[in-house]
Amino acid sequence: MEPLNVTTYIYLVFTYSVGLVFAIGVILRIYQYATTPQPIKIMLTPAPLTKSGAFARVLGEVFFFKSLFKSNKPTWVFGYLFHISFFLLIAMHFARHFVYTNPLPSWYNYFVIAGIVCGIIMVLSLFLLLMRRVVVERVKFISLFQDYLILILLMLIGIAGLSLNFVLTPSALTVVDKQLDPYMNGLLTFQFTNIPSNPLFLMHYTLVMLLILYIPFSKVMHFVGIFFSPTRNMADNPIEERYYRPNAKDLSI
Amino acid sequence: MAKPKSKYKVPVLDGNISIPKIVPGASSYEHMIEAQKEDMEALGFPVKLQDGWKDKAIGVFKQILDHNKAVRDYMDICVRCGACTDKCQFFLGTSDPNNMPVQRQELMRRVYRYYFTPSGFFKSLSNAQELTEEVLKEWYTYFWQCSECRRCSVFCPYGIDTAEITMAARQIMDSIGLGQKYTTEVIHKVYTTGNNIGINAAALRNTLDDLEEEIEEEGGKGVKIPMDVEGAEVLLVPPSADFFAMPHMESLKGYAKVFHKAGISYTVSSYASEAGNFGKFIGSYQNTKEINKRIWDEARRLKVKRVIIGECGHAWRAAYMYSNTMNGPFDFLDSKYKQPTHICEFTLGLVKDGVIKLDPTANDDKVVTFHDSCNVARGSRIGDVVGGQFTIPRELIKAAANKFVELREGTTKESTFCCGAGGGLLAEEVMNVRLAGSMPRMQTVKEAVDNHGVNFYALICAICKTQFSKVFPLYGLDAEMVGGIHQLVSNAIIM
Repeated sequence: MEPLNVTTYIYLVFTYSVGLVFAIGVILRIYQYATTPQPIKIMLTPAPLTKSGAFARVLGEVFFFKSLFKSNKPTWVFGYLFHISFFLLIAMHFARHFVYTNPLPSWYNYFVIAGIVCGIIMVLSLFLLLMRRVVVERVKFISLFQDYLILILLMLIGIAGLSLNFVLTPSALTVVDKQLDPYMNGLLTFQFTNIPSNPLFLMHYTLVMLLILYIPFSKVMHFVGIFFSPTRNMADNPIEERYYRPNAKDLSI
Repeated sequence: MAKPKSKYKVPVLDGNISIPKIVPGASSYEHMIEAQKEDMEALGFPVKLQDGWKDKAIGVFKQILDHNKAVRDYMDICVRCGACTDKCQFFLGTSDPNNMPVQRQELMRRVYRYYFTPSGFFKSLSNAQELTEEVLKEWYTYFWQCSECRRCSVFCPYGIDTAEITMAARQIMDSIGLGQKYTTEVIHKVYTTGNNIGINAAALRNTLDDLEEEIEEEGGKGVKIPMDVEGAEVLLVPPSADFFAMPHMESLKGYAKVFHKAGISYTVSSYASEAGNFGKFIGSYQNTKEINKRIWDEARRLKVKRVIIGECGHAWRAAYMYSNTMNGPFDFLDSKYKQPTHICEFTLGLVKDGVIKLDPTANDDKVVTFHDSCNVARGSRIGDVVGGQFTIPRELIKAAANKFVELREGTTKESTFCCGAGGGLLAEEVMNVRLAGSMPRMQTVKEAVDNHGVNFYALICAICKTQFSKVFPLYGLDAEMVGGIHQLVSNAIIM
């Protein structure tokens, strides 16, 4: 077996640190949201009358962005396209581990093309979301540095990922592909192998790590927070069932 | 009475609700008068800013974050998508960007980032801001230009509720001695007299006697409005404006006739002579609970079987949504009934059961439209089914009047606009803000008047009634158009 190079050592430390920060950060946030009491019922009515109905309401927001659909169609379209393509891409990155076998399955090409299409949709929708922040006066006014930062970071990730397919020769790409699988396996099994040394790949990988590192400190936490939003996740039954939280201090409602 | 038009900035009514170009600072000079010493003391707040106010404020902020899931969650998760930016009537009316819900929240988030997140470390890049006197001034201005109507929350993908953030900000400001005169004065009056207006028991009995006489003159023989009667079946708690203000009193006459014809004994109370709850407006759990408690203490003392709340928006939300949490459970009342019950559900039930009869032709001179009040529409429910707060008032109107038209689609039910004066904004000194806030709703009213000949504007909120009676003449509309649903019932009920 090939000895590990310096780059790999650096990336191993980097990757585990990022994973640790992400896991601890997100778990702490979930703990914080889950344990902070809600003093009184504040669901936005008309609201479901049961707990399960309220949960379905939250899922409607998570899967269909129902409220955003009501409020702004272009934002809904761009936002929805981005989220769908982003999640498909994450799923395909994980699926790749099972798909990239020897020999390759006959449909491997379609798998790659699907990924490329998702990547292009993701970068395009991000670009449109960015344009929105620049062009629409009100949205420009409310946009902060961190809003541009996350859009640009995601775009760069997408572009770097796509460039692996468009810039690299098929043989160079195969080299990356062949090294990537054992490297990723090694992260889980601690049987470490060298990380692919292609600079475009390393760029993509580094940017993804930076994103994951940034998530617990950023507005990306909305993916957790949405589940705890009292205006959406509470059932409309204050008379039928007494709601009382003794640990909610008599302070603010 | 209405002051001359020229004194105020009255928006032009052309039927359009257009999204304005932003004008930074456009309403930055509209301020509330600060609270008086005796009122702040009565509410348990310091009377003015004292040394160390900043630490105190941040301490209270921290406590709110630790004890209020909504504020905790909403401080973090806004992505500034901008969906709310064109939804607030105060932004549409004033063009001031700080009245865009997300920007109003940003006033608080900046301070949150500075003190409670690691990004406070990269202050300028992450838009973190120390709580300075200047920031506090900005808070006081703009958190008092929010009517806590929650329209923005309808359209937010995460349901972020600016009202919760406004309430938290007001709570922080109160706790360091920066209160608003109107709301603190009103709450103080509740503690001393039992109602927002400050009428004592003798004066209340007097006005009720006058009303009984009026009803009699109008052909309602023997209709009584009992006060402080022990053993009555129902404790009726209307907003105190129903006792003294016009057109509110017309609805009180309606309630009285309904009870009379139904043969159900009832009483109002001089101790709990107020359904409204301004404690909610300033976000104070303690004060909201104290005010709410009066109703249930009185229900216990008078040994009634049930509590019915009159036509008032935030009062209904406070009574429906908070009572059971704050002062429940109500096992001393009759469990057959919902405690509390909304007067519209009560009356409509009697109509449906044939206990009382309405003659809708009595209102044939009227073309009626209905304004969903924000706290009823988005903060509560009436009746047993989802959306009963929309159907029950409309059914009752249709039972009492033949001609009914809806206001413009997209501005009713949960998407209703605020009257422009809720949440403690019903103060004279911010008349321009109130006018600006009423603009979107007024555009749709004007449209209904022009296209459908609407001449009766039915409301179930005391603040809406007061606000519209005040602004209608400024817009060149007749204040007489404004009234309550039970005013229609009062006309239509067959005595």
